[in-house]
Amino acid sequence: MFYFHHINCISPQKTFSEIDLEHINTPVGDKLLSVEPAYEGIPLNILRRMGKAVRMGVGAALKITRQNPDGIIIGTANGGMEDCIKFLNQVIDYNEGMLTPTNFVQSTTNAIASQIGLMSANKGYNCTHVHRGLAFENALLDTAMLLRENHGHQYLLGGIDEISAYNYNIEFLEGCFKKEKITGIDLYKTNTAGTIAGEGSVMFLANNNPAGASGKLIALRMLHCYDENDVAEELKKFIRSHFPVSEQPDVFFSGENGDNRLQKYYDACEQAFNKETAVVHFKHVSGEYATVSAFAAWLACHVLQTQKLPMHFLKYAHSKNHFKNILVYNNYRGLQHSFMLISAS
Amino acid sequence: MSRIFVTGLGIITAVGHSVEANRDSLSKEISGITKAQFLSTKYTASLPFGEVKISTDELKNKLNACEKGVTRTSLLALHALAEAISSSKLNTDELRAQETALIGADTVGGMCLTDELHHDANTREQGSEYLASYDCGSVTLYLQSKYDIKGISNTINTACSSSANAIMYGARLIHHGLAKRAIVGGCDSLAKFTVNGFNALHILSDEPCRPFDENRKGLNLGEGAAFLVLEREEDITNKHVYAELSGYCNSNDAFHPSSLSENGDGPFLAMKGALESAKLSNGEIDYINAHGTGTENNDEVESRAMMRLFGDVPLFASTKAYTGHTLGAAGAVEAVYSILSLVHGEVYPGINFEKAIPSTGLKPVTAYQKKKLYHVMSNSFGFGGNCSSLIFSRV
Repeated sequence: MFYFHHINCISPQKTFSEIDLEHINTPVGDKLLSVEPAYEGIPLNILRRMGKAVRMGVGAALKITRQNPDGIIIGTANGGMEDCIKFLNQVIDYNEGMLTPTNFVQSTTNAIASQIGLMSANKGYNCTHVHRGLAFENALLDTAMLLRENHGHQYLLGGIDEISAYNYNIEFLEGCFKKEKITGIDLYKTNTAGTIAGEGSVMFLANNNPAGASGKLIALRMLHCYDENDVAEELKKFIRSHFPVSEQPDVFFSGENGDNRLQKYYDACEQAFNKETAVVHFKHVSGEYATVSAFAAWLACHVLQTQKLPMHFLKYAHSKNHFKNILVYNNYRGLQHSFMLISAS
Repeated sequence: MSRIFVTGLGIITAVGHSVEANRDSLSKEISGITKAQFLSTKYTASLPFGEVKISTDELKNKLNACEKGVTRTSLLALHALAEAISSSKLNTDELRAQETALIGADTVGGMCLTDELHHDANTREQGSEYLASYDCGSVTLYLQSKYDIKGISNTINTACSSSANAIMYGARLIHHGLAKRAIVGGCDSLAKFTVNGFNALHILSDEPCRPFDENRKGLNLGEGAAFLVLEREEDITNKHVYAELSGYCNSNDAFHPSSLSENGDGPFLAMKGALESAKLSNGEIDYINAHGTGTENNDEVESRAMMRLFGDVPLFASTKAYTGHTLGAAGAVEAVYSILSLVHGEVYPGINFEKAIPSTGLKPVTAYQKKKLYHVMSNSFGFGGNCSSLIFSRV
């Protein structure tokens, strides 16, 4: 489909400038909050007014905008939820009195893509995909289509969501998070409902140029269904259409998140692989959020480039000594599923 | 490249609950901007709205949509989607096929339930039934589940140009062979949240809006939903074709979070790009359904951008004086109106217009007229500089 270049990742781990995936940060309560960088390059007066989602989005994107992308494509389920509810709280608390519009303007989900466009004077294509657990996947698909439509172009592509006090609260009421205290990979041993909240911002420069690329998106598939057997069948078809009969992906990134209500999907999908494939889980470092597949794509590129897989990522011991490709399966709330096949460039 | 035809339409707005009812109001110059009956905000006393004239409960009953957690936004969307599906005569097998895509757009989602959201976002107990219904994606996900649509699905939010981009995305999926047909559109419902947001920006008019008038005072918020069914020319047999989607473009103004640049680079580039993608020259556009919100900023900038591009500006008007600004639905609502203009050979006039903006001198069409139209442009510009233009052509 296309190549990933110049990837910047802001996540709960040390992933932004100096990358360290050996020593990992563990959740505080049931949240894995991002390690935010110093945000060089954003004027302080502008930075102060930015909500966290916009800040993380712009912060990860700015350096890439120096490559003059031809457009900006963002996937985010909620955008600046913090600003959104701040404004909403004012509406209620001041009984619809006179309010300042700052939070309102920042609350729209397209504020991240538009703020990046504004700060880099980018008048090209600008789109925000918000289809919850498939928001980033649709941003990938949009980018793939744009690159086929416009020869030689390149695009800024990203996936972002934040933990705001408010979306956390709504998801808490929905029963999304674990009641017990979690440290690191214990997440996968709990056999209880719920997971841990996560957040992050990953920005890529996408184009059709293999030279110097961090990785290549080979294929993408999205599904909307509740039946784990249907998902596993589609996964088998997906593998068969991209690998010869005797071959399998080198690594399987399982999006399992410790929620025992969703484990059946991941177990069914794991059955599609033979013992040769290394099985990796990653949500103990990223937490769960709607656009976490952007983090998975970053991690896949990083693993393919460094050829290193720290022990805590491994679900089982494996004998691979070289990774050429990684298949990511993610599932949001048991309804929205995606497969991404990423290879070394 | 295959030509993309529109084979189904569905719409619900303040001026009608069906395609025919909307056309009837537009032809008779009947506006839907009135005192709101169902919206809960203190501003109903002082501001008029383009409210859809049916209560949420009536919508639920009419659509037999009594699931828990369904919002007014989703119900409006379902109403328009059902009409579009039936007008395109899509059967259950076609709807469930992998090659049928559903692309929605909205900016409000379940935030129409401002008080419930306030409770659920701030209180650690007793969540409401709407916990999974606040985000924009919830609307499309509801429609997807309701019709068991299995193909590619997406929700787009580019503020007030959202559904124009949903139409573009659906067309592009078809061009790339990722879908055989795409159901595309958008929706939004009135919300205390948006009323207060736009009010804080001082761009709401306390009178029915007057697009392109010198003395315009701002916009009226509206609500509604519209969907179109797009199919490839070669796949259509025995079906009524309304129009061709012949061109589109998305550009960013990159100027200010909530207003357009003086010269309207974003609007100019979107209109220009749409002409190029349709392979049409300036002179071939017969009518423009303008974004024309009635705000100081938009109407002047849009006028200037149209003058820059066309020199001699074609017939144009804004239908927001009928429906109010329906935000995420606007692009799809006005796409339906543009198509009705083509199909019936009629130009719907701007209403409430008296005097041209002095710096531009541009006058919208002010009287209903019959006219054979070949190419109609529809503009949608949003906060964040998100500008998109679509072109529909007579088939």
